[in-house]
Amino acid sequence: MYGWHLKILRVNLTTRKVTTEEVDPKIARDYLGGRGWAIHYMYKEMDPMADPLSPANMLIFATGPLTATPAPTGNRYMVVTKSPLTGALAHSNSGGEFPTWMKRTGFDMFIFEGKASEPVYVLVNEDQVEVRSAAHLWGKDVHETTDILKAETSNDARVACIGQAGENLALMAAIMNDKHRAAARSGVGAVMGSKNLKAVVAMGNKNPPLHDPEGMRALSVETSKNVGVDVKKGSNMRIYGTSYVPQVTNTLGILPTRNFLQGTFEHVHNIDGDALKDNYLIRHTPCYRCPLSCGRLTEVPDGPYKGKGEGPEYETISSLGTGCGVSNLAALVKANYLCNEFGMDTITTGMTIAVAMEMYEKGYLSEEVIGMPLKFGDHDAMIAMIKKMAYMEGFGKDLAMGSYRLAEKYGHPELAVTVRKQEFPGYDPRGSQGMGLLYATSNKGASHMEGDVAYEEVFGVPVKENPLTTEGKPELVKHFEDSFALIDSSGLCVFVAIRYVFNKDRMIWPERLSEMMNLSTGAGYTPEEVMQAADRVYTLERMFLIKAGSGPEHDTLPHRMLHEPLPDGPAKGKVVELDKMLPEFYKKRGWDEKGYPTKEKLMELGLPF
Amino acid sequence: MMIRVKMLANYREILPPEAINGVVELNVPMGTTVYDAISKFDIPLDDTSVIVLNGLTVELDTPLQEGDMVTAFSAIAGG
Repeated sequence: MYGWHLKILRVNLTTRKVTTEEVDPKIARDYLGGRGWAIHYMYKEMDPMADPLSPANMLIFATGPLTATPAPTGNRYMVVTKSPLTGALAHSNSGGEFPTWMKRTGFDMFIFEGKASEPVYVLVNEDQVEVRSAAHLWGKDVHETTDILKAETSNDARVACIGQAGENLALMAAIMNDKHRAAARSGVGAVMGSKNLKAVVAMGNKNPPLHDPEGMRALSVETSKNVGVDVKKGSNMRIYGTSYVPQVTNTLGILPTRNFLQGTFEHVHNIDGDALKDNYLIRHTPCYRCPLSCGRLTEVPDGPYKGKGEGPEYETISSLGTGCGVSNLAALVKANYLCNEFGMDTITTGMTIAVAMEMYEKGYLSEEVIGMPLKFGDHDAMIAMIKKMAYMEGFGKDLAMGSYRLAEKYGHPELAVTVRKQEFPGYDPRGSQGMGLLYATSNKGASHMEGDVAYEEVFGVPVKENPLTTEGKPELVKHFEDSFALIDSSGLCVFVAIRYVFNKDRMIWPERLSEMMNLSTGAGYTPEEVMQAADRVYTLERMFLIKAGSGPEHDTLPHRMLHEPLPDGPAKGKVVELDKMLPEFYKKRGWDEKGYPTKEKLMELGLPF
Repeated sequence: MMIRVKMLANYREILPPEAINGVVELNVPMGTTVYDAISKFDIPLDDTSVIVLNGLTVELDTPLQEGDMVTAFSAIAGG
């Protein structure tokens, strides 16, 4: 078999036993790779009711059959585990260089089990695997940890690690790789911290053999050329990255502002992509072999917020920025650097501070409890809260549990804008109805990366859909969920994949992703087969959620989205009409009217029932 | 009547220098449509551009009213 190594590395951190396993080629084919393989193993081996921060949880790093191939953006990996934030699944995606280096160790997937008795890191240098002491790294931030590990292993190694937030089990802790890239959401860094696993270091030269290397090269060159042309004529991701998006969502009235009290931000010009470009942009910084190159190196050269790093991205601007009512760009850029250094998901961090700000302004949280005033727009207080969260100091202990637990503890859970206790990303679904259905039903709680129908409702890719209507949205959401399950399993980045995988009829282009998978693996997939495999992955994840106690009863939206109409902007007066979409969505997914996959559907997908 | 046209991100490059924050004001006759207003500018008028009226999805032959804002940006993968 090609494309996949068909090899898994399993590290039991309790016993420090390291084993390698072969993957059954049928399982490899049926579950695609990456996210798909990971859920297959979790469903088979793990008790879904296990405490996410206990040794019984599995922490899986998984590459796909296009990772470390010439396929453009074939540089991604997934971190899959049971989330301590949501109690549902976490599957967080990241790019950069680490994923490619990980695949070059000769393993497609790393499984970490148990819990080390003291801080360790794992070095994987092809077949030489060592569990080493990380005593000298504990307490260090992501940048320091990465530099030390490269110095003591090899400059040719690549590092994924946690910062202080993960060590301290903050529920918004991310796993960072290559310093600036994040498998960010759902508290995956806390799971790593709970295992006393500070870092994973990967090196090697085992590129996966390809079924048709020449064919793969030719298709990759052609796709990269198309991307290059689009970058020139399009929104120029090399200059703006995703930071141009606040203007788009502000125009549509769906820019989360002051904990979703509003859908437009009056100071958006102060913190958008043009302000960032004019003030702090140095240059673009691509992930490995990416023709799009949306990452950007930035620097605040002087003043109280002096610093250098990457970003911020849109989701950071809409959470730590507009979500908190913050309009000081230098402070916002600094907050983003701090989150990367401490290893924190900026969405959950920002939106948790945002709900605390609303509770402070409404008198539900006092200055005594917080330790300082916490008004919307107070950028210095926002930065102070980030530090408290990372170190679990004082009120930071409450913040580090995320917005739902914080709001619940202080008597106002209705103010938390979450699904399955995970904070919303940067699209107010009252003005983007399909996103509302997606958030309500996503296997990982509220997330755009579970099936980002904003591509159509907001960005017009591959076709423009009216964001304010519910008609046709159930089918669209299912299609995007399956598409993202496919992309997350393949090893590609959604930014390129979504544009070059589907045509204007939303049909998969056989000559694109499924053909790339075939050139890599020789599996001979038809386009229908890869989409069915994606459906299989999504449905098996749903079965895990049901067994984990996070089933259909959680398919809903918070009070604000269902009962408080947007007060401003083009979507003024709108709430999410979830009840108009949910029954039809269940039907489209092949689930019964209560939201459980039917026996017929499970049989069709070859899943256990 | 006065209407406004707003361009986002790199579409701003084609605006005249008097544009403020990507917005220009235009004096157009009654009956001017979204298409009439936006076609004065050198951007692709196919499905590679997203064009909205006051933030809402509309047909391009929709007639404009005094004070309307037409916004255009490149259709591209998002945030």
